This record gives sequence, structure tokens and C-alpha cells, in this order.
Amino acid sequence: MDIYKINQEMKSNRNKTWILLLLMTLLASSCKDSFLELPATGQLSVSELNSKAGIEGLLVASYAELNGRGFRRVTGSSNWLRGSISGGDANKGSNSGDYGDLIPWMTYQLYPSLFDIGQKWSAMYEGVSRTNAVLRILPSASADVSEADKQRIAAEARFLRGHYYFDLKRIFNMVPFVDETLTYGTGIEKVPNNVDIWPKIEADFKFAYENLPATQTLVGRANKWAAASYLAKTYLYQKKYTEAKVLFDLIVASGVTSGGLKYALVANYTDVFNAAKETNSESVFAVQAAANTGSTDNANTDLGLNYPYGSSAPGGCCGYFQPSFELANSFRVNEKGLPLVDGSYNSATNQLKTDQGIVSDQAFTPDAGPVDPRLDFSVGRRGIPFLDWGVHPGYSWIRDQSFGGPYSPKKFIHYKSQVKNLSDATASTDTYSAINYNIIRFADILLMAAEVEIEVGSLETARTYVNLIRTRAANKDAWVKTASGNNAANFVISTYADSWNDKVSARQYVQFERKLELSGEGHRFFDLVRWGTAQTVLNQFLDYEKNKLPVAYSGGRFTAGRDEYVPIPQTQIDYQGRDILTQNPNY
Amino acid sequence: MKEIIYNAAKFSLITLIILLFPFISTAQNRSVSGKVLSVSGPIPGVNILLKGTQTGTSTDVNGDFTIAVQGENPVLVASSIGFVSQEIKVGNSSVITFTLQDDINTLSEVVVTGYSTENRSQVTGAVSSVKPQQLQVVPSSNVEQQLQGRVAGLTVISNGQPGTSSQIRIRGFGSFGGNQPLYVVDGVPTQSIQFINPNDIESTTVLKDAASASIYGARAAAGVIVLTTKKGQKKAQKLSVSYDGLYGVTDPGRGQAILNPQEQADWTWQARKNDIFQNGGTIGPTSFAGIANGQYGSGAMPALPDYLLVGSKVGQPASAVNLEAEKLKYNTNPANGPSYLVIPANKQGTDWYKAITRTAPLTRHTLGFSGGSDYSRFYVGLGMQQQDGIVINNKFSRYTLRTNTEFDLSKKLRFGENIQLAYIVAKGLQGSSGGSLGNNTNNNSSVSSDENEILSAFRMAPIIPVYDAFGGYGGTAAPGFSNPRNPLAARQASANNLNRTVYGFGNAYLEYDLLPSLTLRSSLGGTYFNNYSTSSSRSTYENSENIANYTFNEGSGYGLAWTFTNTAQFKKTFGKHEVNILAGIESLNTGAGRNISGSGLNPFSTNPDYVTLSTTTPGTTRQVNSSLSKGNNFYSLFSQAKYIYNDKYILTAVVRRDGSSQFAPSNRYGVFPAVSAAWRLSSETFMKDIRWISDLKVRGGYGQMGNSNYLSATNQYNLFASNAANGYDLGATNNTTASGYYPSQIGNSSAKWETSITSNVGIDGALFNSKLEFVVDFWRKDTKDLLYQLALPGVVGVRASAPFVNVASMRNQGIDLQLSNRGKITGDLGYEVSVIGSFLDNKITAIAPLVPYFTGGGTRLGTPVVRNEVGHDLSTFFGYKVAGLFASKEEVAQAAVQTGAAPGRFRFTDINGDGKIDDNDRTYLGSPVPKFTGSISLTLNYKGFDINTNFYASLGNKIFNNQRWFTDFYPSFTGGAVSTRVKNSWLPTHTNTAVPIFESAGNFSTNTQANSYYVENGSYGRMQFLSLGYTIPGSILKKINVSRLRVSLSTTNLFTVTKYSGLDPAVGGSSDSAFGIDVGNYPVTRGYNLGLSFGF
Repeated sequence: MDIYKINQEMKSNRNKTWILLLLMTLLASSCKDSFLELPATGQLSVSELNSKAGIEGLLVASYAELNGRGFRRVTGSSNWLRGSISGGDANKGSNSGDYGDLIPWMTYQLYPSLFDIGQKWSAMYEGVSRTNAVLRILPSASADVSEADKQRIAAEARFLRGHYYFDLKRIFNMVPFVDETLTYGTGIEKVPNNVDIWPKIEADFKFAYENLPATQTLVGRANKWAAASYLAKTYLYQKKYTEAKVLFDLIVASGVTSGGLKYALVANYTDVFNAAKETNSESVFAVQAAANTGSTDNANTDLGLNYPYGSSAPGGCCGYFQPSFELANSFRVNEKGLPLVDGSYNSATNQLKTDQGIVSDQAFTPDAGPVDPRLDFSVGRRGIPFLDWGVHPGYSWIRDQSFGGPYSPKKFIHYKSQVKNLSDATASTDTYSAINYNIIRFADILLMAAEVEIEVGSLETARTYVNLIRTRAANKDAWVKTASGNNAANFVISTYADSWNDKVSARQYVQFERKLELSGEGHRFFDLVRWGTAQTVLNQFLDYEKNKLPVAYSGGRFTAGRDEYVPIPQTQIDYQGRDILTQNPNY
Repeated sequence: MKEIIYNAAKFSLITLIILLFPFISTAQNRSVSGKVLSVSGPIPGVNILLKGTQTGTSTDVNGDFTIAVQGENPVLVASSIGFVSQEIKVGNSSVITFTLQDDINTLSEVVVTGYSTENRSQVTGAVSSVKPQQLQVVPSSNVEQQLQGRVAGLTVISNGQPGTSSQIRIRGFGSFGGNQPLYVVDGVPTQSIQFINPNDIESTTVLKDAASASIYGARAAAGVIVLTTKKGQKKAQKLSVSYDGLYGVTDPGRGQAILNPQEQADWTWQARKNDIFQNGGTIGPTSFAGIANGQYGSGAMPALPDYLLVGSKVGQPASAVNLEAEKLKYNTNPANGPSYLVIPANKQGTDWYKAITRTAPLTRHTLGFSGGSDYSRFYVGLGMQQQDGIVINNKFSRYTLRTNTEFDLSKKLRFGENIQLAYIVAKGLQGSSGGSLGNNTNNNSSVSSDENEILSAFRMAPIIPVYDAFGGYGGTAAPGFSNPRNPLAARQASANNLNRTVYGFGNAYLEYDLLPSLTLRSSLGGTYFNNYSTSSSRSTYENSENIANYTFNEGSGYGLAWTFTNTAQFKKTFGKHEVNILAGIESLNTGAGRNISGSGLNPFSTNPDYVTLSTTTPGTTRQVNSSLSKGNNFYSLFSQAKYIYNDKYILTAVVRRDGSSQFAPSNRYGVFPAVSAAWRLSSETFMKDIRWISDLKVRGGYGQMGNSNYLSATNQYNLFASNAANGYDLGATNNTTASGYYPSQIGNSSAKWETSITSNVGIDGALFNSKLEFVVDFWRKDTKDLLYQLALPGVVGVRASAPFVNVASMRNQGIDLQLSNRGKITGDLGYEVSVIGSFLDNKITAIAPLVPYFTGGGTRLGTPVVRNEVGHDLSTFFGYKVAGLFASKEEVAQAAVQTGAAPGRFRFTDINGDGKIDDNDRTYLGSPVPKFTGSISLTLNYKGFDINTNFYASLGNKIFNNQRWFTDFYPSFTGGAVSTRVKNSWLPTHTNTAVPIFESAGNFSTNTQANSYYVENGSYGRMQFLSLGYTIPGSILKKINVSRLRVSLSTTNLFTVTKYSGLDPAVGGSSDSAFGIDVGNYPVTRGYNLGLSFGF
């Protein structure tokens, strides 16, 4: 190569070369590293959040996850899918194709890769992660956070964490307990699910109980009594009746809501489900829903599919969560107004007359036999006024009767007079309501306390508690009336007048009362599992219901030793490893 | 902003310094002019290059050129596509005439590669170029689509929606996302070229391997497409004007075959009979009660009603309806009370696909003005294109102005700019079209992955009329037909859904010849855009699930991306040695900007002239959102050195060091080298005797490229966010919330550059006097440290986005072939055949420790449709393998235990042989990645006539036809439209079929699982176009003072050969890791076009 020639040329241009080199060097070095430092936009770093407002905001987000937002609409605290549908209160509804993933929950054919199982898992752990974020930042809180605030905030966060774990525990049984000391990359994914977490849940509720104030300025916050109630419920689930009784006695005697109202049943049963009246003496701890806030996620999205179906129906969409034949029949009473706890409500003579197979144009007269008035608070059926929406027309409000049966859900439906006011006006359907879901309401407390009384207290106290509930249901002023002011059906109800003498029948009465009082509120399946009656009751249920809805319940069978808990999600086992997460038995 | 000022200051400084240089400059220049001729007359657009330098020009329409020459013994090289290059020593002449031989040896092309141009024969990497004529014969709205079938190894999956973005992939999929190539337009990198007018393009080059593309660094790992636009020439001349016009229509073709109303009613009855058969019952008098809400009665045979809905009455005969009386009750306005509809039955059947489509016109006009003086050149292009989609109220309009100029400020200093302004209006676009700026994780169009109106046309029962008895819309408010929405109503409501975007794109540059052999260049370029969109959706009354509110949306955004590039290039020949060295510095921002949008409900009037955000209902239903982004900053140093000895041995080395703001300081920089070499055997003396070999070159290259396309801008940070959707009503107010802050991102500060290692071996040859040419490349690309957003375990809290971590690896390998043969059949009849083909093998070689796979895709199915797993292709379909349909209860009893098993239902294969069918029996059902893509192009010339055609084939892939879930199964949406496939469904009396029993049950054994019933052969061949052109001979044109006049007639997508049952086998996907799933594809259909172009 002719190096000499290059040298010559370079030499003659030495000045220019120097300037060039200088220029290049200047450019190369002048680009400071700061040019490659770009901050994140529209988001905050943790160091910006340690003020009072910041930490309260982290706590708000911990509450926000209560309705399962951001996941599928079956993941919230209402547990309408696992608690009520798997418990036989209702079927999926709609038609067989739409969201067919829900069918295995009715037929106990769950499998580890079923998407919604992982969704529930993730939604509850999302709640856990948010509470942990609060607890993690508290030690480095800035000076404007007082010690009292720190104590309250920590207690609220641990209350909520207790709640999320409570749900995980009763749904999945064996789950890993991760607390604020663990984060991504520091071992959070290495915690195995081989330890029973009931003690951890107890510890969170105990801490909350001991550190929360009795009342709160913002009444949506948990208070001391909500924590006491949840702790007592935790004892009950573990059959620690003695510990539970102490607390239940205290709660019934002295408990108050966050707003300072003494715990009591409201006179009108429907006030519990009326957004305009829901913040009342019965609301122990509720998921607060709000409409028209800028996002429908703040409304009761969890129950948003569960409205009647059709362009003229309340909400209009999507026909889910149709009460079962078996549940509706359960409201049949004898001549005294007492329930048929022996199961005879399903007999050919006792079962309710329905409009199954009858289109709305054809005539139909509703059942005229005696029923508990709570039937028409709980089940929408043809011929009966549906809140202030007019008389339920049957078929035309049902999406696919041959799949889901003749009934509509009724409890968590807003009134026509509340449309766009207590339901969100921005959404494409009118099914995002401001109706709260009560995670614990006082009727639930009384019924749990009654169970405890049967085991370690007095059968008579148990009867008293149940009768309180039945007395409230017997408030004739609140019963569903026709346009002319008559009772919409043959309502008959009375209290248990005779004293209860044996635990076996007392348990039957309390358990049946729970079924009626709390139907559709996400409790039934968990109750059956904890009573140990799931296999018997649910297979009887299936045998009856299969005849009515053969397509929906095809192949349904409850298998003890497996179906009490849902499988650990396959994806989570895949992400964390088989050595960390062990699958539940028989899946 | 600080950086921009900073860089502008730097730019000014260099400008100043460079401006000072002329005064100390000493070299000698002189001007030479000339003409380039072929046998048939002057040739426009010929590249004239001063050998050994970068000085070049090209001829005008009359074949004339002027060029400044310098140095001792200057040599000019004339080269043009379609002609053999010719070199002439200038000597003392001032006028040079070239006469080019009419033999097209593509090896002699000048190709525009990284930051420079080089001769085809000296290229060492895997580079393909596409002639502008080849692009222009395809009458498509965008350049991307014109590239289909033109370059071996480049695939384009597009759809028929004008204004859509396409999935362009060069040599497979290197990553799980971010696989779009980098576009470099006149030296400025960009991610979108939808604003480019195809008629403005002068050259297109595709850089496929590391050796050729790595000079473009960080964003080039998925390949680079280099576009240059038309320039003009420097010489005294009169203005030349060109016109190119195109008018065409696109025919929507036919939709899928759907049962007519009577057939659907009959099959609805059959479904009930099948239910009874499955449940072991017998048909009785009440068996047909309550079906389809009584629309067809309840008799033993279904009867079509005359009216589907009259008020609240369903399934009425005409005799029961007094239209006069009903008209008084008719109401579709919610303000006047509950709606009262009168919907007659359309017994002939509504063709919903036909209802929403039309024959769509396309027009394009481009005016080009070019000219120059001895010291300047310019090209001005004015373009206008309006293309209607085959779906109504879908239109894409583009108006462009391009000005490319260059001025000699002194003999050594040039200033130039290439600037394009575009105004784009898109109407009624479905899905999103991919981003225009920034570092998008993918640019796939979502129109083929949404449940869109094309799909809803196949869900709507044909008995429903488009309009009801009194002019309102017909729809599923008539019960019994499930819940699809009237797709025509939705399209008509899109008439004012407009997105208007103004783009400014281009660069300005200074070039200075420091020495005859050393050129400095400084270029500042970028993209600015501003868009404004308005859209609305109507409140509905005609559907079973109505939308309560009329919603109006209005939004705007802007963005700016810039690139500042400074290069020095040294190019010199010393006897047999030729050296070409390039060094450069580049800083850029991928796009920073802001967006604002608002929405509101129910204005007093929905007249578009009335509706604004201000006229919507005040209060909380009026919402506003905004966002900002800063883009990503890159800073890069790069150098390329090329050494050629005696025109035989060519060695190229490239190294680039990139820094990106996407990474934390510790991993910010990556260094990516590449080397390549070529040996021109045909220049060796021992080869000279082999006459039939005209040219032969062996090439090899190996190199690394960095990639961060898939990485988010903020990946290094742990972040929290607050928004309306994460508040909580702590005060129990029912209508207000306190703000919540939630973990929104988990950061990873140890993420580093993805590296792809590419090796390429190629042979370029020309045989038989260059009549037959071939290019073969064997290549392999291994991507390691692949950035992948590993799903977080649930316990971490998954509403925080997961960090990208360097975990996965992928291998792509293949063979690219290109063959062409040209010649004369008889004296005047010439032909050219070119064949391209590429074989691709894609494999995921690692995902992450612990994570065996991840899933994705599909709609409405209970299981995921694709699984990405080590050892398999990207996005491979996964599910149960259908072994057949159960023939009888006995067979069910003998088979493995399967939930929901019954006669006529799917019998899944017991893969693991454990006697039960569960998750563990799912298996791989096929890959969406074609094994082979290729095309044959044929050109015939006879005197002034030419015929061009191209047949494209894509073979060896599968498609997941998700539409079958909607159309083939009764329970999916009971009452919705039914495919004619069902006529062949299983019956106790018809068991020899693959179509399952038509019945109510929706379960594991019927429609809920991803399985092989949905998987179809996706291979296809398509005649992409056939065109006939006539160029009027020069002798005639001279008389009318026109230099060029050509008319052409063409048809596109003439026919498609495929077994695929959907509308179009070219199925993209919302992302590459969920590729090939068809949920209602906007098809590419046949078009007819007329073209006219002339110049004077």
C-alpha cells in the first residue's frame, strides 16, 4: 500500500486534520452521560411517596383492590363465583358459550390451568403487594406522619392484608405468605406454600384489632370492630370456638361501625343492598363502591355482569348469576312460616312453580304457596315487582332460559330511580353501580355467633340470634308489594318459638338460616366446606338441578378430598417452580 | 429540550468551522458535461460517479449530465439499473458521451448502504435492492406493501385496510417483539414510512445481515430498509416535469358462506334434536318450545316468521301486524320513552358482508419537478392519494410535498435538504395502526386481531334485515339471535371518525470535501408530527346489548424525533488498492411528545357540526386525559473500513458503540463489531478462460448487532402510579374517590443490550454473458440475552408491569435465493424472469430458567391458543389434537376419560396415554411461521409494450381460524349466524365427517378448548399483480415535445390459491408472540387500476 502518498496528502493538510481531530474529540467527549439520563414520565418513584399524603395514597390503593379491579370480573371480595355459584346459590347464567370458563366452577371440573383461578390468585396477591408497599414505606415516613397515624395506617394495612390472605386461604388452602420484608429479587418468589397461614392471618387481624381506633373520620376505613369481627371469623373457620365466643360477645354487645353507629340489623332488609342507604348500622366492613368518579373500576365492577338481560331489562346486560331452582325452593316455608330444613322443599309438591319454557307473551301465574319474604328480596322471578323496574316479565329478561333457568339476581341491582346517579353514566352498559358489597354485615355476625353458641355456649342464645334475623325479615312494611299495595306473594315467616334442645337440629336451623339470609353474597360454598357437608349437600343439589338444567350441569359431581379447594394455578407453579409451590391434593 | 439546544449549538459550531475551510482550500475543480445514450435513445436517471470519490450526479430526462471532476486522470463511471456500467477516462475532454449496453447485470448496480453508496460488485454483506419500477407497478398505498415478494428473506403481512401498518420482517423473528426493521430515509432513521409517496422513491435497499446493517447500530438488529428519494441534477438545464397518475378500484369479493334463514332455522331445530339424542330422550310435542325465543314457533318443523319483533311481540305472522297502527307506536328515540321496534324478517337473507363493503376507488397523482443549475439541484414532488377501504366509511388520504435540494456553497461545500411534508387523513380506521414515532414494542396492525366489524358481519343472523320496517336499523333487539351488533350501523356511525396528522420529515446537511478523498458531512434530521382526532360512538336501540350513551372523543398529540449525524469519509484508490473509511458520531432521540384527549356524552344534538367536548353533558362524565413521553436518547460512535485489492479481494470491518437511555448507567453502552469479506473469483486470471462465467463472487460475514427495540424507556426504574381507576371511596360518598398510588412498574437496572450474532455466506454470480444471475445466501442469526418481559409470579403483585430481563435466546436460520434470467426471445421480444425464495427456520432456544413457556392469543376460548416454548417456533399453536369425532356411546366408554365426551363431539388424543384427557394432553398443533416464501416475477417487452406479473407464495405455515368458534358451534352465541360447514356436521346418520355435532352443549369436548379443529393449512399462492403497459415511442413524443408517455392497465391480487377457509390467508397478529390467529381479518382483495405517466 502506498503509505507514503497518504502521508504526503495528510501532511499538506495537517492543519485541517488537526482541526478535524479536535472537532471529533470535542463532539465525542462533549456528549455527557447526562444526555443518556432520562427520567420516567407520568409516574412516581418511591422516594416521592413517603409524605403523609403519599402513604395514605398507597393505603387507598390497598383498599381499591378489594373489588378485584384490573383482573377478570370474578376476582373481587364478593366471591360470587366461588362462594355462591360453587355453593349452589346460583348458576353462571347467560348462555353456555359466553364466558364458558365459568362452567367448571359449577360442575367441580376445575383444572390447574383454568384462567380465572390464576386471576383470583393474582388479584388477591395484588392486594397483598399494595398493603406490603404501605408497611415497607412506613419506617421511612417523613416527619409529617405522626406516630398515631403510623399506628393506624399500619393497622389498616394489616387488616387489609389479613383480608386478602383470608380469601386466599379459604379458596386455595395452602398459599405462600409474603410480607413487607420481601420484594422482587429478594426472595419473594422463593416462599413455599407448605405452611398453614392461619396464624399469620390471626396475627394481622389481632394487630389491627389492637391498634385501630373505634371510629374513623372517613367511614370507609376499617375500624377496631371490623378487625374484631374478622378475627372472630378467622377463629370460627379454625373451629376455635372459645376464642371466637369471647370476641363475638364483645362485638354484639359493644361493636360500632367506623361511623360510630352501634351494630344493629336495619329494619328494612333491602337497605343493605341499596346504594342510597347502605352505610348503616349493619355494615361491619364493606367494599365501598362509587359511580361517576372518572373510572368504572371504582364502581361495583365485580358484580357488573350480574344483571338481567335484554334491551328493556334493568342494566340490560349480561344475564349472569341466575339463582338456582334449589335456592328458590329453599324459601318455601311450612304453614308456621318456618323453613323446610329437612330438604322437602324440593319435593314435587313443595317446589316453586316457575315459568321455565314459557315465553313472555304466554300467560303465567306465579306460585301461590307460602314463602319466606326474603325470596323476593333475593330472587328475581316472573310476575313479581323487580325493585322499581316494574314486574319481572320472565323469559324476555333472561338470556337463555334453557341454559340458566327462569330466575334473575336481585340483591345487587340498583333502582331505576338511581340510574346514572348511583350507577355509572359513562359506561356502555348501566351495570356499574355504587352498591357496596358487605364483606361482613351484622346479620352474618349474629349467625356466626349463633354457630359458636351452639358449640360452646347456649343453644338459647343461638336461637335468640337467629330470631333477631327472622324478626327483621318479618317486617311487613318492607315486603315486596304489588302496584296495588298487596304482598307480591304469599309471604309467611315466624321466629323459632320453641326452645332448641339438641345441637344437631340447632346446627341445621342456623345453617339453613345462613343459606336464606346470606344467599348470593358469596358465603355458601365456604360454609359448606367448613361444616364438612359440602359433598353431601352439593351432590344432592346437583342431582336436583341437573334435571332442570341438563346442559349447564352436565358432568357435575363434587369429590371430597379435592373439590374443597381450587387447584394452585399451573402458571404460578410454572413461574415459581414445583419445589416452591405444591399442587393441592388430587389435581 | 436542553439536549436539542445543546445539539443545535454543536451543529452551529461545526457549521462555522466547516464554513471556514473553503478559504484554506487548494484543490482544483472543473466541470464536465455529457450525455448517456442507449440503443433506443437517451437514458434518464443514470448515476454518474467520479471514480474513487463520492462525487456523483445522475442524468436528466434527456440523458444529460454535468459533473465536477477533480484530481489526476479522472474517470467517470455511468451506471444504471438495466444497463452495463461503463467507465470513461475524462482526459482533457469537457464533453463525454456514454453509450450503455442494454444488458442488465444487477451486480453492477450502485447500492445505497450504510451512510454511503457502493457498487454492487464490491458489496460484502447481504444486501438486496429493489428497483423503483418494481415498486411502482404495485398500485398500493404504501411502500411496505410494494416490497412484498421483491426481496428474498423479507416478508410482508398486510391487510386490506388502507392506512394500516404491515408486519414487515427481515429474516425471521429475532425477538419476541420489536422485530420491525429500521427505516432510513435519506439518512434519517424512522419507524414509520406511511407518509412517503411511493412515486418519490429513487432507490430501496434492504440490509439483511450484521455486516451490512450494523453500521446503523442499536435499532438495526431486525434489518434496515434504506430509502432515498429523487434528487435532480446539478447542471444548467430547463425544468423537467413528470406526472404519474393512477386510478383504480378494489373489489371486496365475497364473504364467508353462511346458512340462509331457512337453513339456519332448520339447523336450530336439528340442534334441539341433537340435544335430545345426547340426553337419551325422545322427541315429544313440547320438544321445540322456547327455542330462539319462539321466533320459529314450536312445531315439529320451524316456520320463518314475517316479523321478528313488533313492540314486545316476537315471531309474528304478517296477518297479526297492522303496520299503520304500529307506525304510530314506533319509537327509536330513548328521549321519547322505551323503544318500540318493528323488525320484519328478511327471509331471503341479508348478506352482511355485502352490506358493509363496497367497490372502493383509489386515486393517486404525483407531480415531479426537477432541475438545477451548475451549482444547485432540486426535486419537488407533489403527491395526492385517496384510497377508500372496501369497508364503508374507511378511507385514507395523503397529501405530500417533498422538496429535495442541494446547493454548492463553494466548490467544496455543499448544503442540502430533503424535506417532506405530509397531511394524512384517516377515516373510520379499525384497530390501531401502530405508532408513528418512538420505540414501539411492535408495529403490528391490530385490525386483524380485534373482534372487528368484518367478524361481526359473520356473526349476524341473515334473517335480520339491515333496516327495520320504518327506516331504523334492524338488529338483535329481536330476540333469539344472540348479541352481535348491526355492523352497518356501526360503520355508518364511523363517518366522522377522523384522524388528521401533519408530518414534517427530513433533514438538512452540510458536506465538505476536506480533501478530494475526504468528505465531512453533518446532518440534522427528524420527524415532527401533530395529530388531531375526533370520533364518536352512537347510543343504540337495535341490539340485544345496547349502548346507553352517545360518546364523543376528541384528542391531539405531537411528537418530535431527531437525529444528529456527523460523518467523515475517506475514499481513495492507490493503484490496485482502494480504501474507504467512514467514521461518525450520532446522537438521536426516538421521539418525545405529549397527548391530550377528552370524552363526553350525549350532546343535545349529534349533528357533527354541533358536537364538541363543550356541548357534551357537563359534569363527571366529561373526562380528560393526557400523557407525555420523552422517548429514548441514543449516542453512538461508529466506524467502517473497507479495503479492496485489485478488484478481487474485499474486506470490510465495522464497529459501533451505542449508548441508550433505556439502560442504567452500568450497562448503558454496547460495542458491536462486524467483519465481512468477499473474493471476486471472476477477476482471477485462472477464471478468465471460463467464458460462461461473467462474474462470480463469494462473500462471508460475521458480526454482532445490539438491540433494545423491545425495551421500555423506563425499564430501570421502580415506579408508582396514580389514576382514576385506582382510587377508592374512603368517605362512603358513592360518587367521589380518594387518590391511590400503586406499584406500577418493577424495575431492572441490570438489563443490558440484546445481542444478535449473524453469520452469512453468499455467492453472487452472473453466467452466460450475464444472462443468468444468481445470489445465494446462507445465514444464521442467534439472538442472545434477549430482553423479555418475564411474567411476574402472582405473589409479587402483577398490576405492576414486569421488568425486561435478558433471559431468552432465539435462532433464525435460512437460505435466501435470487435468480434472474433475461434476454430476447426474438428480435423485439425481450423477457426477464426473476425468482426469489427464502427458507426460514425459527426456533426459541431459551426462555428463562424456571419458565418453560409462555402463552398468548385467541379470543373467547377457554385455553390459550399459542405457546412459546424452547425448541419450538415462535407463537406455535397449542392445544388438544382432535383424533376424530366419537362415533358412539360405546366408543366414548372405551376411550380415555374425557370431560363432556359424547357421540359426535371431539375425541382428543391421549398424548401421554394415561387414560384421561387433561391439560397434559395438549400438544403443538402447528407453527404460524412460513417455512418458505418466494415469488416469481415475469416481464415481457415487445416494442413499446410490457407485461409485468408477480406470483407470490408463502408455504408451510398454519393459521388458527378463531372465527370458527363463532360460526361453527351452536352454543358459542346461540342464534348467531352459522357457517355452511355445519351442513356437513356429525349426525347419527352422518358420521363420516370432521365437523362436530351441532348441539347446545358448550363444554370441554365441544367448543371451549383450543384444538386442532381450528388449525388450518395457511399456505397460499397469490398472483399479486398483472399489468400491461405501453410506452409511446420517442419518435412520436418528440413531435409533441413530451419526453416520456406511458399508459398501463393492471389488476392486483388476481387470484389466491389456498386451502384456508377464512377470507385471507395473510394473517398477522397483534404481536409476534401471538402471531397467525384469525379473528376476522380485513382481507386483501382484487383491484383494477389504470395508470398514466408522462414527462416533459
